[in-house]
Amino acid sequence: MAKIKIATDWLAGCAGCHMSFLDIDERIVQLLDAVEFTSSPVTDLKHPPKEGVDIGILEGAISNTHNVEVAKQMRERARFLIAVGDCATFGGVVAMRNLCGTDAALRRAYLETESVCGGVIPDSQELGKPLEMVTGVDSVVKVDLFIPGCPPRADAFFYALSELLAGRTPVVLPPELFLYD
Amino acid sequence: MEIVTLTITINGQTIKAPFGSTILQAARQAGIDIPTLCNHPALVPVGACRVCLVEVKGQRNLQPACTFPVVDGMEVQTETPALVKARKFVIDMLFSQRNHFCMFCEMSGKCELQDLGYRYGIDHWIYSTYTKRFPVDATSPYFLLDHNRCVLCSRCLRACDELPVNRTLGLGQRGADSMICADGIAPLGSSTCISCGSCVQVCPTGALFEKHSAFMGTDEKMSCTKSICSFCSIGCGMTIVTRGDQVQRIESDWEAPVNGGRLCRKGRFEPLYDGRKRLTTPLVRRNGKLAEADWDEALQIASEHIGRTDAAALGALSSGDATNEALYLFQRLFRRELGAAGAGLLRGGISRLTGMKPGKLSDLENSDLILLIGADPTKDQPVASFLIKRALDKGAKLVIVDDRENSLSPFAWQTVPSGDLDKLLVMAVQASRPVVLHGAEMTADAAKSLMQLGKKAVAIALEPAGNGCAARALGFQNGLPSGTHRLLYILLGEEKDIGENLQQAIAPDAFLIVQASYTSPLAEKAHVLLPSAIWSERDGTLTNTEGRVQRARKAREPLGESRQDWEILALLADRLGRKMGESFDDISAQTVREVQGKEI
Repeated sequence: MAKIKIATDWLAGCAGCHMSFLDIDERIVQLLDAVEFTSSPVTDLKHPPKEGVDIGILEGAISNTHNVEVAKQMRERARFLIAVGDCATFGGVVAMRNLCGTDAALRRAYLETESVCGGVIPDSQELGKPLEMVTGVDSVVKVDLFIPGCPPRADAFFYALSELLAGRTPVVLPPELFLYD
Repeated sequence: MEIVTLTITINGQTIKAPFGSTILQAARQAGIDIPTLCNHPALVPVGACRVCLVEVKGQRNLQPACTFPVVDGMEVQTETPALVKARKFVIDMLFSQRNHFCMFCEMSGKCELQDLGYRYGIDHWIYSTYTKRFPVDATSPYFLLDHNRCVLCSRCLRACDELPVNRTLGLGQRGADSMICADGIAPLGSSTCISCGSCVQVCPTGALFEKHSAFMGTDEKMSCTKSICSFCSIGCGMTIVTRGDQVQRIESDWEAPVNGGRLCRKGRFEPLYDGRKRLTTPLVRRNGKLAEADWDEALQIASEHIGRTDAAALGALSSGDATNEALYLFQRLFRRELGAAGAGLLRGGISRLTGMKPGKLSDLENSDLILLIGADPTKDQPVASFLIKRALDKGAKLVIVDDRENSLSPFAWQTVPSGDLDKLLVMAVQASRPVVLHGAEMTADAAKSLMQLGKKAVAIALEPAGNGCAARALGFQNGLPSGTHRLLYILLGEEKDIGENLQQAIAPDAFLIVQASYTSPLAEKAHVLLPSAIWSERDGTLTNTEGRVQRARKAREPLGESRQDWEILALLADRLGRKMGESFDDISAQTVREVQGKEI
C-alpha cells in the first residue's frame, strides 16, 4: 500500500505545535511505516509537492499576506487539512495584536521599543504585508479538522493521524485531548 | 402548608417536582444535567445567558430552564439536536466578544465558559474574534476585575446585591460595550466595595479572580478543607483552599447553615495578608533575654513555676477566640485541677437577656422589626449586618439604639440614644416578629428595659469574641480574676495584644507564661513563650453566638514547632501530673458535653 503523504507548515506561530508533534516520540517510528513526511519546516522540502499530499497540517495564525499564500497553497495541495493549535484555530496569542491594531503594533515593535534608535518598519517585496486582523486559518481556507490547544498534546496529534490512517475522519477530538491550553 | 408535588417528564423520564420549582431545579433533583452559565444556586436566576435553553412541549420557543416554572404534566427535552445547535450558537456568541483565550488566563481549568466550550466542541470561531480592549481594574487590594474576560452573566452584581446586600456593582454602558461597574464609575479600590469577595467566588470566568491565589495552580492541584471562621462570633462556614502547606485562598461554604455562602473581608481576605511575625519555637527567658528552647525545656520551666505557685496566686487569662477544646482544658486545668481563683477573658462574653427567647440568626430573615442595641455589626460581625440588610429588603424595619454613630444608621428607620429606649419598646410590642440584637455596649438599664418584652421577642447576642459564647458557658469571667497573682498564664492565641487596662493589671513581678501565635509587646515580656497554631492549623470545635457548636478543621500543619492550643495545654497538664484525656477526640467529646450542657 502506498504511504500516506503528509505536509506541514507554520504560519504566524511559535513552532510550539511542531515541537509538540515531535513529542509523540518513538511512536513516530510506528507512523513512518504508514506515512511519508514531505515538506515541513523541519525537512528540506519547503513547499508541499505539486502532485499533492493526503494530509496537510498548519500551525499558526493568519497574520500577513504570506500566511494567506502558504495556507492557500497547502489547501490546494492537501486532500485533508488540519489546523493545529490555538493560533490556527482561534487566532491565539497572535490575535492580541487586534487589540491595538497592526499599525500601532508595528510602530511599537520597530520604532518605539526602548532598545531601538533610528528604527524602520520593514517594507520589502520579499516580506508579506501584515493584515489588519489576525484570524484563524479557517478565515481564508476550508479546514477539515481543528485541533485546539496551546500547544495541542502530542497524544492529540497521534490520535488524529491514527484515526485518519484507520480510514476514520475525526470531527471533534475526544474530551481528554480537547483542550484550549 | 402542604407541598404540592407535580409530575413532569424530562427526556421521557417521569419525575416528581415540588410546586414552584424551575425546570432546572427539577432536573437537577432528578440527576438530569442541564448546562448553565449565568445561573448560580445561591442567586436568584435571571435567565440571561440562554445556555440552559430547553424544549418545552407546547411552547413556541426554546425556554430557559433556570427561570421556567414547572407545571403538572409538562414535557421537557434537554439535549435534542435543535437544542445543541441553539446552545452552540449562544456559546459561539459568548466567545466572539472579548478575550477568551485560555492559555494565559488564571481561571483555565476552573472556568465555566471553558467547560461549555469543551462540552459543545467549540474548536474554532464562527464569528470574528474580538478587537476591543477593555480595561483591567486592579485597584482592589484583594482581587482583579478583568473586563476582557467578562461574559456579562451578571452573577457578580447579583451576588453583591443578594449576599452582602452592598449593591456596589452594577452594569454600565450598553450592548456589547456593557461593563460591570462599581458605583457607576468608580475604581473598585475607591468604591463602596467592602471586599467581601462574593462576586469573585461566583464569577464563572477569569473576569474576577483573587490576587493571592492567582496563577498558583488549577483546582486539581489544590486541596479543600471545610472549616469555620473564628474571626467573629457568627461562625461562618468556609473552605480553606491549600496547595501543599500554603493557604491559597478562603472560600465561603454555600451549604453552611449560618452564613449560606456569605463571608466578609475579615473572614475571606484579611487572614491571608496577616503580616505579623509568627512564633515558631518555644522561647524561655535566660539572663533576662528570650532564647530559643525546645518544648521539653519550655514546658518543664512552665510546669515547675506553676507547681510551686500557690493556687491563690495563680492568674489565668484567655483569648475568647480559642477553640472550645482549648478553653475547656484551660479552665479545667487552672480552675478545677489547680484551684486558681478563676479564669479570665481578654475580650469578654456578654450577658444574655434572660426571659427572652434565644434566637437564631436565621430569625432575622422573617422578622418585621429588628432592634439593634449596643453593637455595630458592620464593623465587628459583618455577616450579621448582611443578614440584617437582607431582612430590610424583605420589609423589616431596623431601629438602632446607640449613643455613638452606628454604621447601619443609614439603613435604620429610627436611631435613638439609649435613654429613649422605652419609646421603641412600644413599637417592638406591636411588631409581630421582633428580634433584638444586642452587643457588648448594651447598658444594664437597657437590658432591664428590654426584658419587659419577654417571650414576645427573640434575642440574639453579638459576642465580641469569636468563641465568647463557649467561654461564658465554661465559666470564664471578663478581665483578670481578682486577687494578687504571682504567676500569670495568658492564652493570647492570635490576638494582637491585650487591652491597656489588662496590661496595667499585670503584676510587674509576676512570672508570665504566654501562649501566642505572633510576636507582640506582651509576648516580649513573657518568661516562657509557647508558640501556638493559627486558624488554618487547628482542629477543634467553635461555638457561635447562637450556641451552635461547629467543627473547625486544620488545612495545614502548624508552622515550625508551633502546636495547637489544646495540645500545649494537654502537654502542660501532663507535666503537672493531671491527666486530661487520651486523645483529641476524647478531649473534644468532653468539651462538647461541657459546652452544650451549660445555660449561656
